[in-house]
Amino acid sequence: MLDGRAVFVTHGSTRLGGGLAAALGELGAAVTTSADGFADRAAAGAAFALAPAIDLVVHVCVDDAALVPQQLADTDPAAWDARGEALLRDAIFTLQAAHSRFAPTGTGRIVLVAPTSGFTGAGGFVPVSTAIEGVRALGKSAARQWGPHGITVNAVLVPPALVAPELVAATTFEAPPAVGRPPELRDDVAATIAHFASSTSGGITGATVIVDGGSVMAP
Amino acid sequence: MTETLAGRCIIVTGAGDGVGRGVALACAAAGAHVIVGTRHENGHAVVGEIDARGGRAAWTQCDVTDEATIVAAVDLALERAGALHAIVHNATSNRSSEPHRLEDVDRALWDEHAAVSLRGAYHCARAGFEALRETQGTLILMTSPAGMEGTVGLPLYGAVKGALRGFAKSLAREWAPHGMPVNIISPLALSPAMGRAIEQDPGVGERLARRVPMGRVGDPEHDVGPAVVYLASADAHFVTGQTLAVDGGHFMNL
Repeated sequence: MLDGRAVFVTHGSTRLGGGLAAALGELGAAVTTSADGFADRAAAGAAFALAPAIDLVVHVCVDDAALVPQQLADTDPAAWDARGEALLRDAIFTLQAAHSRFAPTGTGRIVLVAPTSGFTGAGGFVPVSTAIEGVRALGKSAARQWGPHGITVNAVLVPPALVAPELVAATTFEAPPAVGRPPELRDDVAATIAHFASSTSGGITGATVIVDGGSVMAP
Repeated sequence: MTETLAGRCIIVTGAGDGVGRGVALACAAAGAHVIVGTRHENGHAVVGEIDARGGRAAWTQCDVTDEATIVAAVDLALERAGALHAIVHNATSNRSSEPHRLEDVDRALWDEHAAVSLRGAYHCARAGFEALRETQGTLILMTSPAGMEGTVGLPLYGAVKGALRGFAKSLAREWAPHGMPVNIISPLALSPAMGRAIEQDPGVGERLARRVPMGRVGDPEHDVGPAVVYLASADAHFVTGQTLAVDGGHFMNL
């Protein structure tokens, strides 16, 4: 599906990021990864510079360290920042680095990947939920600003089970998947992401696709 | 207005003008004791207006980026009214309506947005938790269509407004076992920034009004205020995690 396509995957050191990088590689992409989030714009630019070509940026919006359950009232300012605001800054720097690469070429694809728990809410995970929904909104604005430059920005939401076991315990309210099985990382999630790298995906931007077998459904 | 909020005490941040001022006036008119939180002295004028109408209010110097000032606001509420029933976090950065390109923004502009909207919400929730738990009180936040469908002019504003919906929904689940609702309102009402824009170019107001099914931009006190009064009242105790657009039908895409 992705033969000849170059994909950059962020947060490759996480369970989700590492899994997606491997899965996108199995689908034929040449994959470059960055291990962790970016603390500033220069770091994002430097990481992107290591990739000779990039057709698609897959930004994993969460970090494993952000997925620690804790009541907000007990969350100290350093933890609030690390699990919440730092992920939003990371997304801004990643989007900026992607824009720098894509704008001169007049084309580019960005997919933001996050667990559905930001969308549904998850007790004990307020900072990371704040970040996920903020990044998803940021992606829509980026889609509006960069659409004229041939850059699309979409979001793919995946089940908590593909992200962190801790998140599963906080989202037991979710209905079972309508299709009777949970999604496969490669054949369902990575394949959906791959569609955004195809030439026929240019008309979709600012969208959120939930790839969880029909457990969470958007209103 | 009936005294829906009689005996209840409510903190409103960013209450010096615009939507915050309207919310403070409406809550006071509904019988609440209102703690008017403002960064600047303009909060005194709002307290004066409430006093003049026979309501109860007190001003507190409140910079939501500084948790200590929220703690002080909560203490003032407990001292004046003996209990706290709601916090309305309405404050946004003064730079909220400054147009920008996402590829150009720097850390400083982001920090302005995040410090007031997001860290402010965190500070309100943390500082208010114990007092609100005592009364099964509520936290009310403010969002915008920019946070739900993006915006071509203000991506950072859209990001914090979207982020606040994530915050509200997760905190609603977290606080639900305590009987404490958390909700978020998407208002469309005349803010000082919008007022200035319309003053400079009357066409702005007309164009905006044309996009509102009800044909006009709302009034902070009389259009948005009553929705906050409802959510801050005991009547709304079973409503949580919701986004309520109070905007004449402007945004219906949820």
